[in-house]
Amino acid sequence: MKKKLSPLLKKLRFFQPSEKYSDGWSELSPKDREWESIVRQRWQHDKVVRTTHGVNCTGSCSWKVFVKNGIITWENQATDYPSTGPDMPEYEPRGCPRGASFSWYIYSPLRVKYPYIRGILLKFWREALKETNDPVEAWKSIIENPEKARAYKEARGKGGLVRVSWDEVRQIIAAQMIYTIKKYGPDRIAGFTPIPAMSMVSYASGSRFLSLVGAPMLSFYDWYADLPPASPQIWGEQTDVPESSDWYNAGYLMMWGSNVPLTRTPDAHFMTEVRYKGTKVVSVSPDYAESVKFADTWLAVNPGSDGALAQAMTHVILKEFYVDKETEYFYDYAKKYTDLPYLITLQKQGDKFVADRFLLASDLGLNLDNAEWKTVVFDQKSSKFVVPNGSIGHRWEGKGKWNLKMTDENGNPYDPKISLLGVEDDVVTIQLPYFDDQNRSLLNRSVPVKKILRDGKEIYVTTVFDVMLANYGIDRGLGGDYPTDYDDKKPYTPAWQEEFTGVKRSQVIQIAREFAQNAVDTKGRSMIIMGAGINHWFNADTIYRTILNLVLLTGSQGVNGGGWAHYVGQEKVRPAEGWQTVAFARDWSMPPRLQNATSYYYFGTDQWRYEELPMNELTSATVDKPRYQHSADYNALAARLGWLPSYPQFNRNSLQLLKDAKKAGASNNEEAIKYIVDQLKERRMEFAVEDPDNPVNFPRTLFVWRANLISSSGKGHDYFLKHFLGTSHGILGSDQTELRTSEVKWHEKAPEGKLDLFVNLEFRMTGNAIFSDIVLPAATWYEKHDISSTDMHPFVHPFNPAIAPPWEAKSDWDIFKSLAKTFSEMAEKYFTEPEKDVVAMPLLHDSPGEISQPFGKVKDWRKGEVDPIPGKTMPNLVIVERDYRKIYEKFISLGPLLKKNPVGAHGVAWSAEEQYEQLKQLLGTVKSGIAKGMPKLDSALNAIEAILTLSSATNGKMAIKAWEAEEKKTGLQLKDLAQDREAEHFNFKEITAQPREVIATPIFSGSNKGRRYSPFTTNIERLVPFRTLTGRQHFYVDHEIMLEFGEGLPVFKPVLPTHAFAKNEELPDSEGKKITLRYLTPHGKWNFHSMYGDGLLMLTLFRGGPNVWMNNEDAEEIGIKDNDWIEVYNRNGVVVARAVVSHRIPKGTTFMYHAQDRTINTPGSTITHLRGGTHNSPTRIHLKPTHVIGGYAQFSYGFNYYGPTGNQRDLKVIIRKLKEVSWLED
Amino acid sequence: MNYWNQFLWVIFPYLMLATFVVGHIYRYNTDQIGWTAKSSEFLEKNNLKWGSILFHIGILMVFGGHVVGLLVPKSVVEGLGISEEMYHASAIYGGGLAGIITLIGIIILLFRRISDSRVIATSSFNDTLIAVLLLVEIGMGVYNTLGFNLFVGGFDYRETIAPWIRGLFILKPNPLLMKDVPLFFKLHTIFAFAIFGLWPFTRLVHVWSLPLEYIRRSYIVYRSRRTKKAY
Repeated sequence: MKKKLSPLLKKLRFFQPSEKYSDGWSELSPKDREWESIVRQRWQHDKVVRTTHGVNCTGSCSWKVFVKNGIITWENQATDYPSTGPDMPEYEPRGCPRGASFSWYIYSPLRVKYPYIRGILLKFWREALKETNDPVEAWKSIIENPEKARAYKEARGKGGLVRVSWDEVRQIIAAQMIYTIKKYGPDRIAGFTPIPAMSMVSYASGSRFLSLVGAPMLSFYDWYADLPPASPQIWGEQTDVPESSDWYNAGYLMMWGSNVPLTRTPDAHFMTEVRYKGTKVVSVSPDYAESVKFADTWLAVNPGSDGALAQAMTHVILKEFYVDKETEYFYDYAKKYTDLPYLITLQKQGDKFVADRFLLASDLGLNLDNAEWKTVVFDQKSSKFVVPNGSIGHRWEGKGKWNLKMTDENGNPYDPKISLLGVEDDVVTIQLPYFDDQNRSLLNRSVPVKKILRDGKEIYVTTVFDVMLANYGIDRGLGGDYPTDYDDKKPYTPAWQEEFTGVKRSQVIQIAREFAQNAVDTKGRSMIIMGAGINHWFNADTIYRTILNLVLLTGSQGVNGGGWAHYVGQEKVRPAEGWQTVAFARDWSMPPRLQNATSYYYFGTDQWRYEELPMNELTSATVDKPRYQHSADYNALAARLGWLPSYPQFNRNSLQLLKDAKKAGASNNEEAIKYIVDQLKERRMEFAVEDPDNPVNFPRTLFVWRANLISSSGKGHDYFLKHFLGTSHGILGSDQTELRTSEVKWHEKAPEGKLDLFVNLEFRMTGNAIFSDIVLPAATWYEKHDISSTDMHPFVHPFNPAIAPPWEAKSDWDIFKSLAKTFSEMAEKYFTEPEKDVVAMPLLHDSPGEISQPFGKVKDWRKGEVDPIPGKTMPNLVIVERDYRKIYEKFISLGPLLKKNPVGAHGVAWSAEEQYEQLKQLLGTVKSGIAKGMPKLDSALNAIEAILTLSSATNGKMAIKAWEAEEKKTGLQLKDLAQDREAEHFNFKEITAQPREVIATPIFSGSNKGRRYSPFTTNIERLVPFRTLTGRQHFYVDHEIMLEFGEGLPVFKPVLPTHAFAKNEELPDSEGKKITLRYLTPHGKWNFHSMYGDGLLMLTLFRGGPNVWMNNEDAEEIGIKDNDWIEVYNRNGVVVARAVVSHRIPKGTTFMYHAQDRTINTPGSTITHLRGGTHNSPTRIHLKPTHVIGGYAQFSYGFNYYGPTGNQRDLKVIIRKLKEVSWLED
Repeated sequence: MNYWNQFLWVIFPYLMLATFVVGHIYRYNTDQIGWTAKSSEFLEKNNLKWGSILFHIGILMVFGGHVVGLLVPKSVVEGLGISEEMYHASAIYGGGLAGIITLIGIIILLFRRISDSRVIATSSFNDTLIAVLLLVEIGMGVYNTLGFNLFVGGFDYRETIAPWIRGLFILKPNPLLMKDVPLFFKLHTIFAFAIFGLWPFTRLVHVWSLPLEYIRRSYIVYRSRRTKKAY
């Protein structure tokens, strides 16, 4: 290579004459072109890798990541998605600018590079180990010494982390686990990681290890309050939504509490594009959000009042499209696919009636299987009561005829009468619960009834539709307290809602009409995209049900381009069956412990002790008083009736329990279970949840990975700090409220620092990591093998490592694998034989357990109302063998249960025997030990291949088996939906080469065969029943506790009447002007979902630190100018941030965008003298009793499926200007 | 005193001139990307508009004045028929005007550099230092031109400073010429050489990047690919 000329000498070429051409118009310059290499080299690279990223984003976009000189330099959107077909916009390209900045984070100063432990704990450990020479004894000597335990717990979150070797840190963790298992039981250890879909193998790594140990995994969907409980209530389905391309099929599109361009950036184009087809777009949002800019109409609704708006729209649709005119399309749909024609019984209260439960075949004295689970309609052809096919009783009777054909038990066709008007025996007055800001009252309206004489008693019945019309105040001349017209301010007219929502009645009428008329004209292509804005409320399920009325009543659900589209914490593991098998080690032991996180944290962090909201303020006016005043009591009830899982389980070690049973003479499992039931019955043993503040019931160990629990999802942040972790906190309220529990034991003094070991696998030293005892350096997404999927598109995407994990980082799979090894090796000494463990299981949805507690009535065995029968009136009790010495061997192999037990999901199950044999060949087999001859699962790649092979969405053979299983249950022809793809079997290399669209499977409710995926299309078109009581979509839900809270039908419920401080609580010093505002924490633009807010680019784009948005008039009122430092506080805690003053925010409300960590540019609070707080400091959760219901049809537990939400929205804060900003630096 | 004279009027100027030359070569060869005027117009426009234009117009006039006054021998000027009085009048009025324009310019520029938060945030130490030095230098220049003539009486630098300067260039420096020069003329000279020494390490290098090339360049320019060279 020629030596480079110095720039100065080169510059001298200036004097060299140039060759001129064309009369001097052009010339050949003597200068060289080396400067171009700067531009050229900028984009040169050594390697391109297909992978993706996701903080907690399941946008699941395919990305190309570029590596140059061994360094990850930038990323680019992949463009090779399969086509969506003609006349459609493509998925290509997808990915948002936030995600495109992730490569910066690989080398971020916040990167965790080595294993860390808090110095004080390491010092204790080394001393103790030296002294005892036994790791478990060493841990014992630390944790059983109150001073030492307090010392290292108090140090949490205060720095002092020191580097430690992998070997030493694994030894500490294993020692602590073994100590805890022996002393308290495996259910005191838990794992938390969210959203498997965004990196399934990483999720599965820890959950596989913990499931083998017997430790519960904590749910996230309900804890994040992203789960819409309305979905299981209506459809028996967790959440199923259209992929984003289906927005393009909509004829009318509403964005309701969903800021599509901001939170669904890669998908938003389908919404903008469909407008060019003439689709009208409406945005419902309290603030001037980005989605509003794309809308033709903006309904600027008051925060939390969305239910009132939807109630009024429902009123308009019922009146104009059902009563004034009987729209044929709507009636057909309602009769076939909804519970509207189903009969419900009325209960007499005084001289009036209230709606009770569904009329059942057993009420008619019909001699049928599962007669208590078969609902009834009135046939207008025969003028008789008939029991239509498809109800949950048919589902579990095993006759293979569970379908939505309009036939009765014997195959005779019927035509249900949707209203009894015209065939009624009488018209009676019905009282309907009503809620508004002032009070709870009753609406007196009328329904036509039929009377059934049975056992000398008259049963009054009417249809759901008739009660709906009564509820909504649609007058049919039956008499009662009805509004005269839309301008009458009685519930639920357009005039009535104005007071709550602030939206003009004319707008409500217009949008409702347009929405319904579009559905008539397009056969159901009216769609509502709904989001977190309306979902994080205490009463979010009532809001959702009122809105979902609109898509159900207009026949839009289960139609391409129509129905609901809920994208909050989108959660769709496409290869679900394979993933479940690997993730919960179902191939080795069943069942895994799966715990709903909300209850776990509600009790674990003692937020229940600070409850200020008595239930009698929330219940229906139809009941005298609530079952309990305190929501914690409902949770205790749910635990003992088998409604919710409840781990920690009992106030006795579950391993010891079986030894005690043996000692007491139990010679086999049945006798052992009987012993346990007796222990509970005689109250010699309790559920741990009944005394959560007793040290024997504490959660002891928590692993967190792929999550920022403490800072970002830890609603009730400071309660976590105080009671869970035992460190400094900013709680300003007190637990000495008037409210006391009756089923949960109250200790005068609350414990602090329940958790003994807090382990975090992380790559960023922030939020969660700074509060952890041990931080293990995790690989980022660009450094590991994994797969991701989403509900936004039909592809399964790979993660491929662009570089090996740098420094001492390891992938989650490798970390848990090595932890399993250390644990098993150490267990040799402490566990000389396999242990027996009893797992208390809730009554599960999609299992026969969902028909265990009939009539929706609460029967409490504790009160002697029924006998305690495991799996029926109380949790199922299953005895599981755990060989702690073999955890590692099990971890790295696919166990024998996979061959023996069927795989499946959502109540469909089939054999995977063939695939198990195939996997032996694909993955190789283990050569020795207990897993000899079984498929090897020793790497993340093998885990991926196993997942893809075992799932119906990614393996055509499995899809066919799944459809065949579904055919067998329903007696329908279905497998044509996947037949053309039977020969396909995705493998990792294929999906790395190019994204591939998944295969249609019955585990999801729609299919993508030759169309865009839309949920429930299989139910609607192929007549597979919904997994609900009637087998139809429910407007009415009849569980006793639903009725207790007045939620039998969709109702409007106002935001909770909470205040910044509870009654009698002492306010902090009241210096300066203050304002009380509603506090919301929606998703922001410069952080989440695809990139952290503390990346350099994100910080540069907006203000570079914590900020809180305020309305300009609110700000002016207390003298705050834009960018001033402010203090935001209430009884739960304090956060310090800078004010962003904008008229974009509605008056009376303040936004602190989600997930703002306290690690950057955060000063101290003048109240607590602690640094900052986080957006979660002023939050805490409220537990809604209706979410704990179980054992009853669609009201049955499923992990991340049903269960109380960790809602945090119904809160107020006080804001004041910070006079002096203290950085706490001296 | 002799040593001082020798240092200030022989050693120091040559040292600074050597730094000036070598510094520029070094900087140009090693810091191609940093060879810039570091425009901050993007960050602050209003003050820059006035300050920059006044300063640049003024400094060009001042430069011309210094060439005539220092580099052209008095005899040549007189040979052209310009008398002592005429020269002085034009130097005082013309030079004074140019000096004041430049002074206002640099005051605005310096004020802007130390008062606008966005400019402060992007300023290096050298950026501020050179602006301060220029202000001092120009201030003294204006004083020497106007103030000294008004308050003290005339001083003909063409008999002293100018021949000394020319002596420097022909490598026959005569420090004695500077011995009786008034203090502020001396300081003005010393600061000037200090600025020369600092010059290559500041934004002042942009002076050498005046795009004179454009005057004669063709509209369409090709460069040859030189394929044998490895990129």
